[in-house]
Amino acid sequence: MAASSRSAVIDGRRQRSERTRQHIIEAYLALLRDSSRVPTAAQIAERAGYSVRSLFERFPDLLALSLAAADFAFTQANAQAVIRNVSADRPTRIRTQVETRAGTCERWLPLWRALHANQHYSPELRQRLRAMREAIMRRLELMYRPELSALVEAERRRILIALEALTDFESWARMRSDHGLTIEDACAVWIRTIDSLLPPAPAVS
Amino acid sequence: MGIAAKSARIDGRRQRSERTRQTIVEAYLALLRESPHIPTAAQIAERAGYSIRSIFERFPDLHALRVAATDHAFAIGNTLAVPRDVDADRSTRLRSQVETRAHTCERWLPLWRALNANQGDSIELKMRIRLGREMIMKRLELMYQPELSSLSDVDRKRTLITLEALTDFESWGRMRELYGLSFEQACALWIRVIDRLLPPTPRH
Repeated sequence: MAASSRSAVIDGRRQRSERTRQHIIEAYLALLRDSSRVPTAAQIAERAGYSVRSLFERFPDLLALSLAAADFAFTQANAQAVIRNVSADRPTRIRTQVETRAGTCERWLPLWRALHANQHYSPELRQRLRAMREAIMRRLELMYRPELSALVEAERRRILIALEALTDFESWARMRSDHGLTIEDACAVWIRTIDSLLPPAPAVS
Repeated sequence: MGIAAKSARIDGRRQRSERTRQTIVEAYLALLRESPHIPTAAQIAERAGYSIRSIFERFPDLHALRVAATDHAFAIGNTLAVPRDVDADRSTRLRSQVETRAHTCERWLPLWRALNANQGDSIELKMRIRLGREMIMKRLELMYQPELSSLSDVDRKRTLITLEALTDFESWGRMRELYGLSFEQACALWIRVIDRLLPPTPRH
């Protein structure tokens, strides 16, 4: 076999293997959305349409699969939560940030819970959760820069910690499940709360 | 043996069995405080100073032990978190509610985490989690009654949902573990934010 055709065969194999890996990740995420229970290897393999052996050929264990799912989700969530209206007026920025965050919570809550539940078994998982929280903080800082810039450092940090707590995944989940709020009503609660917490934006001279 | 002596012996056995049960529950709670990993039956038995068999003589399974530990924690939590300063001025009520809640979070966060991690399909644990949250809401309603009474039903509900989210166990956990705030700094943050979120206190 010529070198170029051998290389094409290897590339084809790699692509197939990569597709299988991706199907397994997506099956894992789909199962998390369907049920609050962390799925077993057999359930994931069945949902993806592969054998359990195929699963463990691509991931050494389920923790490695959840890490890969976290990385995939992080990339997806960043792509979906496009930064918009950063320079708009205060109500527009608040609405934009809240609706983007709500979309992320609505979509990724099951994975977040699974990662959270397993974090004590893996420093890598803890590091990813930390990176996700840092990304949430950075987004809050970006969207509310005009208001936050009016505060001293300690106060800015306090407000950011409070905003992060209030717009946490579980806070969203409780509004939706325990309190039975619709997405619109839950967004309205966050919008109101954030507006009361943020100081007035400094007047632009 | 007379009836009285037999009855005293049975009472003594019951008391010893109850003490053993209590020691096992306390061993489970102590292990949860030391490590985020859910303790095994062997670890609990070793810590309590009993055999694994002793555990399963008192609890049919570890789930039953978790339920008993939760009930024990609720009873102690209620005793420790007595409502204080309900009729005081706004700043005293704020400090009182925040400090009481902070102590509860500081003490019971590990159990709360275990409860959430283990709830799975357990109706008993889910019910207790819900009960725990309802108690937090009721306490918030009690402590901030003057301010909340000035709001419409919808706004009162919204404010309570927000205050509950802010003063959640995991919110406390993050302030202490992730952001490195001291107990006092974390309390100060909650006091400031709650003060901002509550409407003005009506004048009488």
